[in-house]
Amino acid sequence: MINLAELKQDLYKEVTEHNDIRYCFNCSTCISGCPASEANPPLLIRNLVRKVLLGQEDALLDDDSPWACVTCSKCEEMCPMGVKPFELCLAIRRWQCRNDETRIPQSLPELFERGYTQPVEKAQALRASVGLGELSLVVHDPELLKRFQAMLKETKIVKENSYMFKE
Amino acid sequence: MKYGFFPGCNMPAIRPDVEKAIRLSMPRLGVELEEMEGYVCCPAYGTFHSSDEEATLAVSGWNLSIAEQKGLDVLVECGSCYSSLRMGKSLLEDHERKSRVDELLKKAEKKYEGKATVRHMIEVLYRDVGVEKIKQEVKRPLEGVSAVIQYPCHTVYPSDIVGFDPRGGKPYMLGELVEALGAKVEHFSCEYQCCGGAGGFHRNSAIEAAAFAKRKLDAIKAETGAKLIVVSCITCLMFLDSVQKELNSGGGSYSIPVFDYNQILSLCMGFPAEQVAAIATTPRDEIVKLF
Ligand code: SF4
Ligand code: SF4
Repeated sequence: MINLAELKQDLYKEVTEHNDIRYCFNCSTCISGCPASEANPPLLIRNLVRKVLLGQEDALLDDDSPWACVTCSKCEEMCPMGVKPFELCLAIRRWQCRNDETRIPQSLPELFERGYTQPVEKAQALRASVGLGELSLVVHDPELLKRFQAMLKETKIVKENSYMFKE
Repeated sequence: MKYGFFPGCNMPAIRPDVEKAIRLSMPRLGVELEEMEGYVCCPAYGTFHSSDEEATLAVSGWNLSIAEQKGLDVLVECGSCYSSLRMGKSLLEDHERKSRVDELLKKAEKKYEGKATVRHMIEVLYRDVGVEKIKQEVKRPLEGVSAVIQYPCHTVYPSDIVGFDPRGGKPYMLGELVEALGAKVEHFSCEYQCCGGAGGFHRNSAIEAAAFAKRKLDAIKAETGAKLIVVSCITCLMFLDSVQKELNSGGGSYSIPVFDYNQILSLCMGFPAEQVAAIATTPRDEIVKLF
């Protein structure tokens, strides 16, 4: 049951930064072609739209399903109302990160430290085995890496969670 | 023809044989690849896109500015990198967002003007190189071999941002590129289903994601005589390759080799498999021995 007293009416304005999800008319097209609708728990993007529009803040904060999205954008293509469900999915993740730092992906500090999520700089032996040399990576150029980190240090996510990011 | 080559991070770190295949086969077709020195993660959808929009766009701007400085467009094979960079560029068309990102990029002593276009490997091969040119460079055709195609979802949806097919509807370019190698492309019921390997689906729900891929693999086995799957996306490649072993450990029997297009193209051009098709979980010997 939904307790109306606990709803936050303007939640959708906080979550979706740019597009208007109020056009959603519950058709479920976004679910029918969605690979992650088969995940456990399932990603049911239409239900997420409802949660946001109804203002179910606590339930939305606890919802893991947006993180199962495979980013295929099929829902984005098929939604007849221009709701941009995929962008909403990312927007919900961002909103969760803003309100709960434990949601911040662990790959972020890695990206900050070396520029990549995969350890490209450590793959030299494998690369050499197929006849490839080293790439010109940001980790190989301390000056460039500094500039990259200086840029990111100006962003909200890094500023507000600076303890996570090591230079 | 010259492009800034954006390898991403999965390819150079985990599947460098695909990178080698691209670096050998593209110049043969008259495509020069320029390094994008100091490029960083696209950013991947699971990183900044999922946590902070201005950081996302700063990183997109960083990458795009490298090619822009050289006066080049960007060439990408990985579907996720392609989609992320296209999405970044599209969001940066908004004036407000761009001026914020301009400020951030100033901290990095970089400048973004939006001049470089992001192009996917499939489109560059089909449009800029062309099927005829590819046919001319094939030394050892795949005559009589049946193949199926995995069309990367990130190059199809949303069509207004990533699409490159003026006909719209179902993708076909990769299929015609494979036919240019002499292979026969077969169609099947789950042909346009996404691989399911990207994002958090497999990470959070491994069993369900494997079952999702199984549906496709079963359709390939039941409806076609395909001897290989051809992809043009590092995520499709890695997932469709490794998920077969995962399914086999649960009693399945799947052994359809998976190749990136540039790998199979390189083999047809006569380049050595030890360099261009060296790394796989599902054995590829049945195909490699044809060359
Ligand atoms: S497809 Fe669009 S309109 Fe239909 S339920 Fe999903 S978000 Fe709402
Ligand atoms: S983009 Fe995400 S939510 Fe949309 S169909 Fe694909 S997996 Fe589902």
